[in-house]
Amino acid sequence: MEIKFSGVFTVRKTPQEVYDFLVDPNRFCPLLPDYQSMEILDAKNFLVKLSVGISHIRGTAAVKMSLVEAEPATRAVYEGKGDVPGGSATLRAGFDLQAAPGGETKVSWLGQSNVVGRIASLAGGLLEPLAKKNVQKLIDGLQKALG
Amino acid sequence: MATTLRTKTKKTKAAASSSPAKWVGQPIRRKEEDRLVRGKGIFVDDQKLMGMLHIRFVRSSYGHAKITRLDVSKAAALPGVVCTLTGAEVKSMVKPFIEIGPDAGQKIADYPMAVDKVVFQGEPVAAVVAETRLIAEDAAELVEVEYEPLPPVLTAEEALKDASLVHPEMGTNRNWHGVFEYGNIEKAFQQAAHVVHIGRLHFHRFSSTPLENNAVIAVWDSRSERIEYWSNNSFPSFAAQFLSPALGVGIDQILMKSFDIGGGFGIKITNYPYMAVCALASRKTGGRPIKWAETRTEHMQASAHGNERTFFDTRVALDKNGVITAIDSRHVDDCGAYPRYEPLGCVIWAQVLPGAYRVKNVRIDVNQVVTNKCPVGPNRGYSRMQQLWFIERILDICGHTLGVSNDEMRLRNYIRKEEMPYTTPNGCVYDSGDYAGMLALGKKLIGWDDWKKKQAAARKEGRWIGMGIGSTLDSGTNNFGQAQIINNFAPFSGQSKAANVKLDIYGEVVVSLGSVPQGQGHETTAAQVVADVLGISPDLVKVKPGFDTEQNVYTGHTGTYASQFAVTGLSAIHGAAVKLCNEISRLAAWALKGKEKDLEFAIGAQGPEVRDRRTKKSINYWGLANLVNVNNAGMPETLWDVTLNCRHVYHAPFQVPDVKRKYGNLTLTYAAQIHVAVIEVDRETFQPKILAYACVDDCGRTINPRIVEGQVHGCTAHGIGAALMENCAYDSDGNLMASTFSDYTPITAMNMPDLLYGHMESPSPFSYNGAKGMGEGGAAPVHTVCAALQDALYSSGVIIDDSHNTGDSIFRALQRAGSGGFASMVRVEHPRPSR
Repeated sequence: MEIKFSGVFTVRKTPQEVYDFLVDPNRFCPLLPDYQSMEILDAKNFLVKLSVGISHIRGTAAVKMSLVEAEPATRAVYEGKGDVPGGSATLRAGFDLQAAPGGETKVSWLGQSNVVGRIASLAGGLLEPLAKKNVQKLIDGLQKALG
Repeated sequence: MATTLRTKTKKTKAAASSSPAKWVGQPIRRKEEDRLVRGKGIFVDDQKLMGMLHIRFVRSSYGHAKITRLDVSKAAALPGVVCTLTGAEVKSMVKPFIEIGPDAGQKIADYPMAVDKVVFQGEPVAAVVAETRLIAEDAAELVEVEYEPLPPVLTAEEALKDASLVHPEMGTNRNWHGVFEYGNIEKAFQQAAHVVHIGRLHFHRFSSTPLENNAVIAVWDSRSERIEYWSNNSFPSFAAQFLSPALGVGIDQILMKSFDIGGGFGIKITNYPYMAVCALASRKTGGRPIKWAETRTEHMQASAHGNERTFFDTRVALDKNGVITAIDSRHVDDCGAYPRYEPLGCVIWAQVLPGAYRVKNVRIDVNQVVTNKCPVGPNRGYSRMQQLWFIERILDICGHTLGVSNDEMRLRNYIRKEEMPYTTPNGCVYDSGDYAGMLALGKKLIGWDDWKKKQAAARKEGRWIGMGIGSTLDSGTNNFGQAQIINNFAPFSGQSKAANVKLDIYGEVVVSLGSVPQGQGHETTAAQVVADVLGISPDLVKVKPGFDTEQNVYTGHTGTYASQFAVTGLSAIHGAAVKLCNEISRLAAWALKGKEKDLEFAIGAQGPEVRDRRTKKSINYWGLANLVNVNNAGMPETLWDVTLNCRHVYHAPFQVPDVKRKYGNLTLTYAAQIHVAVIEVDRETFQPKILAYACVDDCGRTINPRIVEGQVHGCTAHGIGAALMENCAYDSDGNLMASTFSDYTPITAMNMPDLLYGHMESPSPFSYNGAKGMGEGGAAPVHTVCAALQDALYSSGVIIDDSHNTGDSIFRALQRAGSGGFASMVRVEHPRPSR
């Protein structure tokens, strides 16, 4: 079950500052909805634990994240893969950065997730609105953190 | 040319058996009901054995993926966990299951657990065995599996392209291919007044959803090297034939038992892969009993679904009167990820090749493909219902296209009563039936003419009301020789059943069936038959239900499937009862110092007895049993063969079909059901609602009308559910979208219309009692509902091309119709216009 979202927002930070924030898992990951903990594996790979739950299906998802594209001040793309209760999920989150007037940065983002397994069968209809809510939380968090 | 088959039955000498049936034909209450209604039934999950462990499967999230990492260490370390099993380990312990099909299908490595890759969502990849079920469930969550997704194959069209292969070792997704051609197709099309071309038709996946899910307890006794199973598999002798070579044990080392089973309808035939894993787990734990009780979600995802079938490029030739003269079509059956019972479905449909109709020229090109979906299993009406739906769709589409009403279209094409027994183009022999008479009764029951008037008035108001007919055949007692049409090396043919009837030491009449009833009332009908033979009441007949290898009342065909117990099971029971009756007569004649011809079976002051009409002396059953078993000094040598413990094997009168021509009698009896429905489609919600529903059944001579009517109600509910609610749909990633009852929405009493029920009797000339197997019903409501929906919506340009119809799909069909969908779906030519 594929879920895709995209959007654009502007923050009062330079592209390099935004980029530095995005590629630093210690700053970026706590903004993930229902974040529990993180373990850094190496410079580009880390393991994030998130609380997930839909209705009665609740548990912890361990998601292995990798920074797969990193172009300073221009672009950062993460890919993740993990098990969620009753299934598995892959995700890709990309951020394209563009300088905007007044030292601001326009962030164009694209989120894409593919959920498989019992959770997709049981809660397929609920996944999309839940994902939308969580993505919005992340974007709101990013905007707040980037001032 | 009609072929006549006759079965031989021995006449009994004693008076009891020559008297007319007193109990057969009576609607007596089911003997099983008392036990089941009071909660005293014994099901697999009720069993608690000393030292029993519980197994939980870890299942694939993906429909198609490579397994890149599997780690059971955390699960194995959890307190209470006794052992784990992985696919690689299982592979080292077993051989792949045998494949029935030839060629490419033989190359499939079907292990009971995925080894390197998964091919359907829910496929087991590991198992955890623990002291309790809850520990096993928790431990299963700790198993770590990583996958690399592969493109899933999810439709017949995708499968045929072979772009992504479910089993690369096959080199193709095509599991079986064959052409069934009879008559002179091209000549029939040249001479046709009308040729109707029909686009893609699709019969959807649904299942039987029995109340009791699959369950098994396995014990691998290392001392005796025997595997004992207590399961709800409904064809245990068949399962043993798969398990024995896979597990590397002799078939005599596999002991099967079943008792009460909470429904099955065929779908439990293919649960043997789980039985294999449970046995391996028992072996690994030193012979401890292993219980597996499937959850509903597991059942929906990974037990078995009914076959999905797509019909392409159909051409129908008709004469100027709308009589169908030829059918030419291409069918693709989707058997899911593993064939298992397949490709038998690729021939079983041919039992009803022309449906209830006289069409003589037929060519059907059959392909079966594997896909990344749950493997299929025989589902009530197995393989025949898809063909019957196809034929009924043809009737309605041609009728509407040519302006012939749906009842008239059937009357012009039905096989006539006077043509019975009727030989179909492929050599099947329809034993008896009066389809036109059944339709007339159905129309009378529902008030056809009144509804026609109401329909006309409603249409003027803009309402969508449709009237539909579904004509189906319930072919029963199958000839396993048809397996040789699929694979001429298949070592199967004919059909047989065994039964045992005895007087036990205290003179009680005890029947051992060897059948595997799942709600069909075998205990009751068996008692009715025996009671008539012995001249006693069914209450005095004790029937031991269920299967038990150690009782030796089975053959390799034993199981409950293919609508046959009324013929095969009861013939075996009747034969054994007649043998017992003859032995009782011989023994009683000696004991009473009389002659057999003077004896009568009766009920005396001390229960059942044999009485000498001439001398008025009598001896009761206890006395007779006592003479044979514990008080036999002085018995003459001529009676030493009397055991009062009589086994009989019934053999159906079949020949091996002509494999090259795909010709021969594939089944013995043909019960029929004709259903009539009135349905309205709401113009705002597009939701269909059944306004009236009638079903007429003809299963030959009825053994117990109460049971027959119950079976008709059951199959009608199943079919209405399938037509309007139930669908094992997958999304484009191979996720099953109906893995709970909340999503699958099986039909309940709340969704059922009131049923009007009618019954006719066309006795079968091929069974000793004139009965025909029944209970599957040929999915009659699926055909009927589709027919009524098309009748409701045809004027809006809708052709019903799918067997599953909901408000949503009807809305989409109307949208397609508005954008020229009809024209692409149906095209008519008139090569020889009628004058």
